[in-house]
Amino acid sequence: MGKKRTFEDTMDDPSKPQSASPIVAMFEGFRSELDEHHDRRERVIKASRDITAASKKLIFSLQRVRKLNHPIPLFVVKANAQYWQTIESQYRAISSDLQRLNAYRYRSNITGGNQEFMEALSFQHYLETQSLISYEEAGHRIASMGGEGGSVLLTPEDYILGIFDMVGELMRFAITSMATSGKLPGGESRRQKHPREETSGGQDADKMELDRQVSGQDEQKPPRRDVLADLRELRLHLEGFDPPLGEKFADDVDKKIVVMRQCVEKVETALYGLVMRGQERPKGWIPDLTEQRRAPEQVEGY
Amino acid sequence: MAERYGMVNPAIFEDLQARVDEDTTVRDELRDIIQTLEKQSRSVQFVLSRAHSTLASAIPEVVTAAEGSIENEVETILKLSQAASKLPYYKWNAMWSRQIQDAAFGILFCGWLGGYTPKGSEAKPGRLLTIEEVGEIMKIPVNLKGVDSFHLTIEEYLQALISLVDELARLARNSVTLGDYRRPLLISQFIKDLHAGFQILNLKNDALRRRSDGIKYRVKEVEDVVYDLSLRNLVPKAGEI
Repeated sequence: MGKKRTFEDTMDDPSKPQSASPIVAMFEGFRSELDEHHDRRERVIKASRDITAASKKLIFSLQRVRKLNHPIPLFVVKANAQYWQTIESQYRAISSDLQRLNAYRYRSNITGGNQEFMEALSFQHYLETQSLISYEEAGHRIASMGGEGGSVLLTPEDYILGIFDMVGELMRFAITSMATSGKLPGGESRRQKHPREETSGGQDADKMELDRQVSGQDEQKPPRRDVLADLRELRLHLEGFDPPLGEKFADDVDKKIVVMRQCVEKVETALYGLVMRGQERPKGWIPDLTEQRRAPEQVEGY
Repeated sequence: MAERYGMVNPAIFEDLQARVDEDTTVRDELRDIIQTLEKQSRSVQFVLSRAHSTLASAIPEVVTAAEGSIENEVETILKLSQAASKLPYYKWNAMWSRQIQDAAFGILFCGWLGGYTPKGSEAKPGRLLTIEEVGEIMKIPVNLKGVDSFHLTIEEYLQALISLVDELARLARNSVTLGDYRRPLLISQFIKDLHAGFQILNLKNDALRRRSDGIKYRVKEVEDVVYDLSLRNLVPKAGEI
């Protein structure tokens, strides 16, 4: 860059002999400011990518959880410890870059990581408590990881878009559970099935017997919801949410809402299949059902 | 607290809705101010465009008129600054960045033509107003780093400089048409200096980069004008200046 300065110096302007160097000095000032800005931006982008990758791994492990409304099993906690650590150290590393003015300046660079982490965080929260984590709680969670640099901002946009993605995880969770254990996680659906089983299933509903025992414990408590009920409820709230028109956020919501509806429908379709074949199962007519009957035993023995 | 709702506490979404609705209100308020600024900016450009058809001797009148209409702009910028300083700057900055760039360009061009001359010195063309000077004229701070408040950013100033380069390349040709053979030389040197300045910057692949790439073509355009003049022996000697 020094080359430029000599170029300037040799330029000879009779009307303003001093003009070149002040301009160069001025631009040198700008260069260092812009370099700082670009470096900060790069750091944030990199951290966002790492947070995204670690959050995806968190979700991957969490998908191995089978019990809803229980503490996360130890093997998942152990597997995920390193990813939590990665996420925390990434947030801590960039928190000082995202203070005051810069909180919003780089929000488009960190939003990817925030959304993915939001997805993981809300999914885990759901598995543990069968409820949706609040914006405040999620915000505190991320803020607390900022460490000495200050807290990292979670915008309502990050939160909402993360929750939209979490619907996909709930879908996967519900369908995997149905495939492996032949039932929808959560208690409510079992209760509803009772009358039907009694009238149609009859004496040879050996597997159903087991389910009934499980649901029998719930009967003293208030009726429990299953994942599908929760998905439908979440869908209502997300559909009821009205994003500001003409913003990029609104476009994102429009796209995600389509995917979300598909996710809910997939679970509904899967449940339909389960109910249909579930009735036929005792008769043993359909060959692949023998496999489905074995599967739950494996899981329970797990 | 009993379980009076299912999975979702309705308060979560009520709160989020309230937040984004508040943003919508803010956006509407700002939009009004920004639209006013845009209109005023157009009338500044309208005044300044007379420079292309005005002899150097009559330029001071154009400058005075432009300074007057820039004052209106500054009033609106003050309103914008008051409304926006309560808000996180970069959350909303994209809304007005374009208009602020245009306003800064008007000020820069006016300054180049001889406007905003410090008291006591003679008004002459070819002066580059610094970002600080532009900020002073706009009555807003520049390049804030710590405080989250309304200000003129470096990027906005640089964008305005690029607009100035484009405008001056046009002015170089029009000066010749008016019979002013000295101004193209001044312009040529001025935008060469700016070009050298921009080359110092390590620009990433962003809006600034894309636009600043055009500066070299402006430099060449003006060089061509100077070449045409020198070929015909029309370049004024240094002594005549």
